[in-house]
Amino acid sequence: MIVELLIKAGLAGFVFFFVLNLAGFHTWVERKQSALIQDRIGANRAPIFGFRMLGMFHGMADVLKMFTKEDIVPDRADKTLHMLAPFFSVFFALVAFAAIPFGPPLVIGERVIDLQVAKIDAALLYVFAMLSLGVYGVILAGFASGNNYAIMGGLRATAQMISYEIALGIALVGVIMIHGTIDLGELVASQGKLLWGWLPMWGIVVQPVAFFIFVTAALAETKRLPFDLPEGESEIIGYFVEYSGMKFGMFFLTDFLETIVVASLATTIFFGGWQVPYLSPDGFHFPWGWEIPVNNLVYVLLGLASFSVKGLIFCFLFMQLRWTLPRFRYDQLMNLGWKGLFPIAVINLVVTAVVLVFLGEPN
Amino acid sequence: MPRLTIDGREIEVPAGTTVIQAAEKLGIFIPRYCYHPGLSIAGNCRICLVEVEKFPKLQIACNMPVADGMVVHTKSENAEDGRRAVLEFLLANHPLDCPVCDQSGECDLQNFYMNFGLYDPRFREQKNKKKKAVELGPHVMLDQERCILCSRCVRFTDEITKTGEFGIFNRGDRAELGLYPGEVLDNPYATNVVDICPVGALTERDFRFKARVWYLSSAPTVCNGCSQGCNIDLHFLPDRPHLNDGARVVRVKPRYNAEVNEWWLCDEGRFGFGWVDRGRLGAVRGPKTNGAEATWETALAAISEAISGASDGARVGVIASTQLTCEELFLVREIFRKSLGARVTASVPERPGSSDDFLVKADKTPNTRGATLLGLMGSDDAEAIVNDALAGELDVLWIFEHDAIDLFGEEKARKLPEKLRLLVFSGTNESATADLAHWVLPTAAYVEKDGTFVNHHGRLQRVGPAFPPFGDSREDWRVLMDLARMLDLPLEWRGPREVFRALAEAEAPFGDLTYDKIGSDGVAIAPAEEAAAP
Amino acid sequence: MAVKVVRRPELTFWEKLYLPQIYCGLKITFRHFFKNLFLHLAHRVGRLKGHRAGVTVQYPEELRPLMSRFRSRHRLTQRDDGSPRCVGCMLCETVCPAKCITIVPGEHPDPHVEKFPVRFDINLGVCVYCGYCVEVCPEDAIRMDTGILDVAAYSRDAMKLDIHELMDPKLRKPVERCDLDFPHKCEVHGGDMKGSWPAPETP
Repeated sequence: MIVELLIKAGLAGFVFFFVLNLAGFHTWVERKQSALIQDRIGANRAPIFGFRMLGMFHGMADVLKMFTKEDIVPDRADKTLHMLAPFFSVFFALVAFAAIPFGPPLVIGERVIDLQVAKIDAALLYVFAMLSLGVYGVILAGFASGNNYAIMGGLRATAQMISYEIALGIALVGVIMIHGTIDLGELVASQGKLLWGWLPMWGIVVQPVAFFIFVTAALAETKRLPFDLPEGESEIIGYFVEYSGMKFGMFFLTDFLETIVVASLATTIFFGGWQVPYLSPDGFHFPWGWEIPVNNLVYVLLGLASFSVKGLIFCFLFMQLRWTLPRFRYDQLMNLGWKGLFPIAVINLVVTAVVLVFLGEPN
Repeated sequence: MPRLTIDGREIEVPAGTTVIQAAEKLGIFIPRYCYHPGLSIAGNCRICLVEVEKFPKLQIACNMPVADGMVVHTKSENAEDGRRAVLEFLLANHPLDCPVCDQSGECDLQNFYMNFGLYDPRFREQKNKKKKAVELGPHVMLDQERCILCSRCVRFTDEITKTGEFGIFNRGDRAELGLYPGEVLDNPYATNVVDICPVGALTERDFRFKARVWYLSSAPTVCNGCSQGCNIDLHFLPDRPHLNDGARVVRVKPRYNAEVNEWWLCDEGRFGFGWVDRGRLGAVRGPKTNGAEATWETALAAISEAISGASDGARVGVIASTQLTCEELFLVREIFRKSLGARVTASVPERPGSSDDFLVKADKTPNTRGATLLGLMGSDDAEAIVNDALAGELDVLWIFEHDAIDLFGEEKARKLPEKLRLLVFSGTNESATADLAHWVLPTAAYVEKDGTFVNHHGRLQRVGPAFPPFGDSREDWRVLMDLARMLDLPLEWRGPREVFRALAEAEAPFGDLTYDKIGSDGVAIAPAEEAAAP
Repeated sequence: MAVKVVRRPELTFWEKLYLPQIYCGLKITFRHFFKNLFLHLAHRVGRLKGHRAGVTVQYPEELRPLMSRFRSRHRLTQRDDGSPRCVGCMLCETVCPAKCITIVPGEHPDPHVEKFPVRFDINLGVCVYCGYCVEVCPEDAIRMDTGILDVAAYSRDAMKLDIHELMDPKLRKPVERCDLDFPHKCEVHGGDMKGSWPAPETP
């Protein structure tokens, strides 16, 4: 029992460590990537003992700065809620990772360890629940600030998140119908199957339309460009206008965490999670007949690498989108959500259902 | 009466008038360096060239008497060509000193060059070197290089002051202005040569490098140095306190008034403005024992209380000053003499200064005639008031401006504050009397307030405010009106203009005058006083 | 005035689809990204130095070349003996639209020079760098060619240049020692007159 707990704690620690560092690393990537896109150089100072590391220490400097800055709480703010809101945001973004399987089961002696912090059979629902709860951080921040602009920003953000959740959810139903499970572990395992003997049955292959809807809605869900108008830092003023210091920093962090969550989810649901094409637990089985046997450790490492690479590519893509697209207007945002994505998702669902019926496969 | 045409306009002038004067009457300005209306005609600068029809050559307007049927062109091509040539000669040896020259900005050489100069000089030779920065006397500096030998200054010292210090020595391009050997330019009107010098050859040593003339603001007023009341322009620096050691007034220039001082001003009046910025009283001072801060409100409250507390109006004494304007003297009379029955006088023991038969008068205050017209002279005597005060017959004594120690002697003056319940001093500058008084009220200098003076010759002239009062000081009329309000006196005037209207209605000599009717030249309201003082 | 009605252009179906447009946008950003990434990597190994991988100028280390007409911090030019060429004519003080120049003239021992500035202060916190002072100077005594752009200070007072910094652009506040040997008033000595003219050479 103790060992089980320790293993779980270790896994949780690993995920925490990895995800939080990745979020910090994201700030650097964001700076450098935007700089390259815009023919600039990007942040390259903040040396530590003379080492600049391409400006990688700027993230650390940012955190130090945010911790040492004055924490201003408006006079008219609800002090408790004002303090709680950023914690809500970060908390729900972090716990969403618990249900995401990030590697194949590791076998150590007799013990089989699932590389997943919490093995929940309704994992997908859990992740969505957590992402939805994130809206509390937003609305609380807007509401508790005692600032009209903040509450308007909070309301905009809430409306946006709730609207896009619907399209997001419906888009995934198709995937669920095809694989017949909402356990993410099984979903990933199920995507290892081959279609017609050579094509991995990844979500992107069987549900391409759902993938696009998912990515779009997920971007809106994370409130990143081109859907970042709830924040609209300098122009329309967002829900965290009254936050300063590390509390602001936590909202900032949430932003990056949610990006990573969404990237992980997209990987898990549409790109086979930790699956490597043609790799089974005992080795590669290529359709043209080659076979390369691997042991369990290599198998696990390859799975981890696969998951990481896919997730990072998504992060990179989201970042690239951010620096490519201009922001939507609020009415355009709502139009796209309700009149664009939602009907397409429904049609996609119906078509999927009809096709499944005609193919007659049970799951 | 010859009729002539100048620039197409006809005018009829008395015989003997010169063309330049006739043109002036038409408002046509002809450039001039050597010509000065107050001096004899020299005709040596040649800049005033005009074209006269039927004359083969250009003529100098300053020395050309008018004739009937004369047709003069002052702006024709020929005339301007002539002036351009004259200027070229004048500038042949004139140094390009303008940036460092004090005259620059009010220099006729600059001005006329701008109008019709030869902008592309043809003079390639070395300019003559002469002496620069020669001290001629206590007030005047000479730069021989800049001199264009117009001889205005020579004629001034020959004809006006008749001291004859100046002369032009040598010939040709070696000719230079200078003093006769052994002479020093220190006559009482010496600095007038600076005003009449059309270029920067003669400059004021006191004004030297203090400011540039274009920084100065100018306000017309009247000199308060003596009872002549010469008209002056006060030149002051409204901003730029880094110049002139922070003092506002920079210099005084005479203002033309045909009836008073013509173009001239004595050096005594010209350099007698230092007190306007130095040693001024800037704040109300109260009794030392009084812990409360001394402000105008507390001061006036204490004074009005003491005045109302006096058992009899006659136990209040006022020694007014002939430095005050007519309006203020009128207010003093109305408040203290008419309403309170106090003893008021402006006549103090006389201490005549130097005088001459030109401008300088022995009476060194500007408004003695005004005080006389208002009945404040001779009716009582300051000496008597002080003696009565020392005898304990007065409770309150208010001294305007006067230095009691100087007038009544150290011994008497020192006793005053002990014998009186209240001794008030109001004045512009620090003095020994100010240290004696219980209350010291800082008042505005005459250039800081509106009002009128009546000069020695019975001429009513207006002094205008050039700039606001120094520090916390206030105009005397404002102080007196505030006091009247505190004493509940029914005086409803709102400023010097209205006070003057009341004054003019009350006093016959002032007739129906108003400020607008006085104008800038003043109005004679009383017969000229012929050296009456014995 | 005739009103010209401009219709908002209708989007074509292709544009309304949005995804192709996103593709076009991504094409551009990816092109820049990979081109610059490649150039940066090439620079790391010392290749393709001629191609810049960004328009950024790394300011304190790398300076942009200044135009010869560029107006930077002022300086006072000097005579051969090290005294300022300025004759204290105050034309710059007069022409200055920001009123940031303060000159107090003094009497020069040479009557052919007459004037010189005992105080010459420029308040850079007020200066608008219009260059009128340079243009108006009859003696070429003030120039704006030091190339100093980074005028910054922690206080308003430190933005005021006195004759020390104007004579020697390398000096920075606070000036501790007064090395100028011509007469002048400076803050180092509390606004008193310092220095003297060299003694006239006796033949």
